[in-house]
Amino acid sequence: MKQELILLLKQRSILIFLLLNLLLTGFSLFNGWQNISHIQTQISHAKQEEIIRKQDYLKQHSQHDSLDVGEVGYYVFHNIYHSPDEWSFIALGNRLVTPYVQRIRLLGLQGQLYDGESHHPEYVMLGGFDYAFWLVFFAPLLCIALLHDLKASEHQAQRLLFLQSLTAQPALFWCQRVVSRWLLIALTFSLPVIGFTAIHGLSLPPLLQVLVITLLYTLLWTWLCAAFSLRTRALNANLNALALTSLWLLSCIVLPNLAQLWLHHRYPVQDGSQIALQHRQAVHGAWDLPKTDTLTPFYALYPQWQDTTPITGRFHWKWYYAFQHMADVKLAPQVAAREQALMQRDQSSSMLSYFLPAVWVQRSLENIAYSNVSDLLAHRQRITAFHTQLRHDAYPYLFKEKQFTTESFGNMPVFENANK
Amino acid sequence: MISLVWKIASNEWRRLWHARIPALLMLVLLVLWAIAALAAHHHWQDHANTLAEVTQSSQQDWQSQPDRHPHRVSHFGDFVPKPLHPLSVIEPGILDQSGHLVYLEAHRLNSANFNPATEATSLGRFPLMTPAMIVQWWMPLFLIMIAYATITAEKMTGILAFMRGNGIPAWAIATGKWLALFLPLFTLLCLQASLTLAWSWGSDQVLLRLSLMLLAQAMYIAGWCLLVLAVSWFSRQLHGALLMLMLCWVCVCMIFPRGLANLAQMTYPTQPRTEAEHHAEIKLKALGDSHNPDDPHFAAFKAGILKKYQVTSVEDLPVNYHGLLMQEGERLTTAVYREQQALHDAQLNRQNASIRHWLWLTPALALQYVQMASSGNDLAHHQAFIRQSENRRYQLIQYLNQIHTLKVDQHDDHNTRVSADFWKKAPRPAIILAPVLVSRDSIEAALLVLLGWILIPGVLLIKVAKRT
Repeated sequence: MKQELILLLKQRSILIFLLLNLLLTGFSLFNGWQNISHIQTQISHAKQEEIIRKQDYLKQHSQHDSLDVGEVGYYVFHNIYHSPDEWSFIALGNRLVTPYVQRIRLLGLQGQLYDGESHHPEYVMLGGFDYAFWLVFFAPLLCIALLHDLKASEHQAQRLLFLQSLTAQPALFWCQRVVSRWLLIALTFSLPVIGFTAIHGLSLPPLLQVLVITLLYTLLWTWLCAAFSLRTRALNANLNALALTSLWLLSCIVLPNLAQLWLHHRYPVQDGSQIALQHRQAVHGAWDLPKTDTLTPFYALYPQWQDTTPITGRFHWKWYYAFQHMADVKLAPQVAAREQALMQRDQSSSMLSYFLPAVWVQRSLENIAYSNVSDLLAHRQRITAFHTQLRHDAYPYLFKEKQFTTESFGNMPVFENANK
Repeated sequence: MISLVWKIASNEWRRLWHARIPALLMLVLLVLWAIAALAAHHHWQDHANTLAEVTQSSQQDWQSQPDRHPHRVSHFGDFVPKPLHPLSVIEPGILDQSGHLVYLEAHRLNSANFNPATEATSLGRFPLMTPAMIVQWWMPLFLIMIAYATITAEKMTGILAFMRGNGIPAWAIATGKWLALFLPLFTLLCLQASLTLAWSWGSDQVLLRLSLMLLAQAMYIAGWCLLVLAVSWFSRQLHGALLMLMLCWVCVCMIFPRGLANLAQMTYPTQPRTEAEHHAEIKLKALGDSHNPDDPHFAAFKAGILKKYQVTSVEDLPVNYHGLLMQEGERLTTAVYREQQALHDAQLNRQNASIRHWLWLTPALALQYVQMASSGNDLAHHQAFIRQSENRRYQLIQYLNQIHTLKVDQHDDHNTRVSADFWKKAPRPAIILAPVLVSRDSIEAALLVLLGWILIPGVLLIKVAKRT
């Protein structure tokens, strides 16, 4: 085994491949880390600014220690943070597109929930250079490069017969060759990750998961390449390389694409723009309806406020926020159906991933990084919960016309971010 | 001489045909192409349907508005979908990432929302198979697989030496072999272009766009053919030739494009939208507050209005003072928002400039830039769309504010409703796809890189060919 390793490392081309891989794995980790720390800096910056902005508002608009709750609901934005997790750098996933800071106010949620982020679309299209990408696409290629000519190269050098007659157990001999190559490949992928964990003092359980995924994936490809290049007639190295590269194309690009096509066909999702259009119609249509049309169903949902003073004037904030909420309620079935379809897509892709190793690796790493569509949906749930909290906090002031004091302003809920 | 070159090319075709595997690979490439075309068409149609639906319902919602107060209408707003060129079926570019709907509203600068990329599963992280991708990634790869041995094998069997000994010049061999590789692929490209042309006949600038695309594709493939020949001529062993070409392919097609984009993002990171909104708010506060009676800007504005209409108080104005204030406010906020948008665009353009600086590393990305530009799915087209819709927003809102000023009696402002006919006549110029020249910078840089991509392997080929 030791000899095998020495023999391998003495070949300059293999050494160059391995060093290059080491370097680029390091780069992928560093790049992921930079992306995440940029997000974190922006979030902490936004957190400070949120405090200042709210204080400014308070200073400018409070009169005799009280504020107009309706105006507070309309003008005060609350920040929502989609904070990355400690290990998010391993797979950037949809964090490249989802907004990490969003602003929400007391108006209808569906009109605000889908605000986009001002990312660079071409960058998102090309994709992040993160560890997941590097492992999924290049581990197989490295395996192919190192393993496709196991028998063929010996045959070429006219040593094959000699070797097979000399070794007592040819199986063991080839096994050692293969394992030594696998070890080197796995090491060049894992060492940077381990080093990175040590430098930044990251938590260990995710590290173990990442390592297991890496080892399994490289093992699978090592096995595939070895099986292919140790066949009885595997004497043509070029043919092996071509066949294995085709396999790589199939498993890393063609099949995931076909799977995605099938998934989108099987679980169609209504485009979000339809929600936005209907939401606008519901909100603005309410202005032209009699107030009871809004308030009766609203009071059916919130009977505790139905005995409050009836509205006589042209406008009252409680009616305004009631119709904002009723627009959300009206759209709730559609929103739920969309969410359901997205969940189904996610579940099916998880099922598919057991047959597509590349997808399985990508998915598992994204699960560790909390950057998959299921995390986006969970995040949207948190936003919805926060919005509900905001509404429930404001309702007593709106409906009971309780005085909204400086203290109530300070007691307004703040978005607490927890990733799990 | 021409007949000699032609003979060499025909011999090469015969060899490829008899070797069986190249012919098989070609077949596989065609099948993949068909799959990609089907998938891309499905994707395109999905998108086109969504846009048609949005356009229709947005139009209907707008036209069916009842009598309303103009300011209500300006908050009702208008939805504008992003126009789509039929060539997107070849290269969807940033279609899935950029967002395809902008909400135009008074004193707000809204982003383009709803991109499928946000809600994609892990499967969405794999590169999309499109006809453009076939040309950009797969054609070179299959070319390598088919032809890595073309000259090395003849070197090993001594045929090359024999041919040279019989007085056949190296350039004739090189040209013949190059034609043998390039012509079939070029035919495929032309076939794709003419099918697309027939399919998208009559769409915006289709001839210019399609010929640009075809030119870039042909240059790109020509460069690859030259590279394959050069490496194949240079190598002494088949295996070495194959590995070297594969390495080139991996670097040019996969590592460099992503790497460059990521480096650009790392060096010039973009600010989040909320940050931009916050800056805009600070600037707006500095400009003036229309609610504050002591505000210098609005005090001067009021004095100017009173002087213009020669009255002493706002109450005596023949027009609605609130409407005038709205107009002035909209003018100010729009200026700030546009400035903010320009800053954001500058950030993105700086990233692109830094990518262009290193573009010579990867002709694949250069090709992609041309393909995205010609299908109207690159950043420049997107920014042009945002600018157009912002102009439409400003025109529309100022029109509504004018109606507020002229048609709403200021003494009964809140209770007035204006006839719905005014909304029907409102200026809502159609949003059209920007001309392909908006992406001039990236097209120029990309074509230059592609030219270099032909020249460098060409020179290499001449050099190695001279040695034997």
